[in-house]
Amino acid sequence: MDDENDELVPQKQSLFPLTADDIVDNALQSLDEQQAKEVTKKAADEVVRIAVEKRKAEYRSDRAQDEMRNLINNANLLDDKVADYKINSTFETATGTTTVEIRKSKTNTTLIIIGVVVIVLLLTLMLVFMKW
Amino acid sequence: MLYLLLLIFISLVGVFYLRHRAASANQKRLTRSQENANLLKVLLELDVDSLDDLFKLYQVEFGESAARYARNTYQKWKSGDVRPNKQTFRRFLINLPRVMNFDLKCEVLRELREAYCPRGEYDVTVSIDDWKSTLTPLIEEIVQRATTAELPQSLQRRLTWLAENDATAAKVLLAESQARETGNAMTLLEKEFSNIEELLDNAPRNTRISHVLKLPLGSIKVHITRGSEDG
Repeated sequence: MDDENDELVPQKQSLFPLTADDIVDNALQSLDEQQAKEVTKKAADEVVRIAVEKRKAEYRSDRAQDEMRNLINNANLLDDKVADYKINSTFETATGTTTVEIRKSKTNTTLIIIGVVVIVLLLTLMLVFMKW
Repeated sequence: MLYLLLLIFISLVGVFYLRHRAASANQKRLTRSQENANLLKVLLELDVDSLDDLFKLYQVEFGESAARYARNTYQKWKSGDVRPNKQTFRRFLINLPRVMNFDLKCEVLRELREAYCPRGEYDVTVSIDDWKSTLTPLIEEIVQRATTAELPQSLQRRLTWLAENDATAAKVLLAESQARETGNAMTLLEKEFSNIEELLDNAPRNTRISHVLKLPLGSIKVHITRGSEDG
């Protein structure tokens, strides 16, 4: 009976399942020479690709900065000359896209003020009539 | 009489069960076919050079005529106008990966990871003065996500080549690469926010700015307000 139990539990082997790290280690150690060479080459290519992407991103950032400065100039010119305007701009930048919205609307402000004045007048008239 | 009624009842239940099973099997088939179409679409997102390598390999493995058909139809597969059949799916995603070189396999895996690994999507509002304290932990989380991200189990069960040694090596390599790319974004953000600050300082008052930070396994939409002195 004891002999049978010895066979059921292999000696010098963990009963715990393999961890994710073990699987990765086993996979990397099991690569043949050609595969190992390909992995090394691809890793070097990736380093270069990331560096190139970073350089491209920096270039996009510089270009976006110029475009943003132009936008500010145009918006300030409009701000001095025009009562109502709305500018929507999107810039491709180093890490994504930046969206800028600049808006000036005197009409709305005037309409709100007129609306408030009308409501106040109506309320005053109502109160006067109710007292009568 | 009672037996007859019981028999009719059992027959009705049987018919209902069989119809239900047939309908659900049909739906499952459709779902699987749609799933295959989606997987092929992801594969066809490869960059031009990799796609060219893929079609060359397709020609070597399955002949000139099949390759010509694939080249002529791939835009329709990509747009969803034509749904690829099971043979096409198997050729592209089961058979070809077994003969792909490591470079192409990595590119296929990159597309699969970007399409199927869980992504971190955030929407935050920051002030131009305190963006770093809000964004740093989110970016760190996405870096961590890139390191540990796994394709869904259902996909791994279907694409068994993903478990092979070279695919495992490709996964480790891409995880590290995507984590580095995400880390680089943090450095680049310094310059981005300096540009945005300049814009906010000089633009008219009613200026709203938002920035979408795109990362390999996530994105952060950032609404930027003026510094605290402006309220």
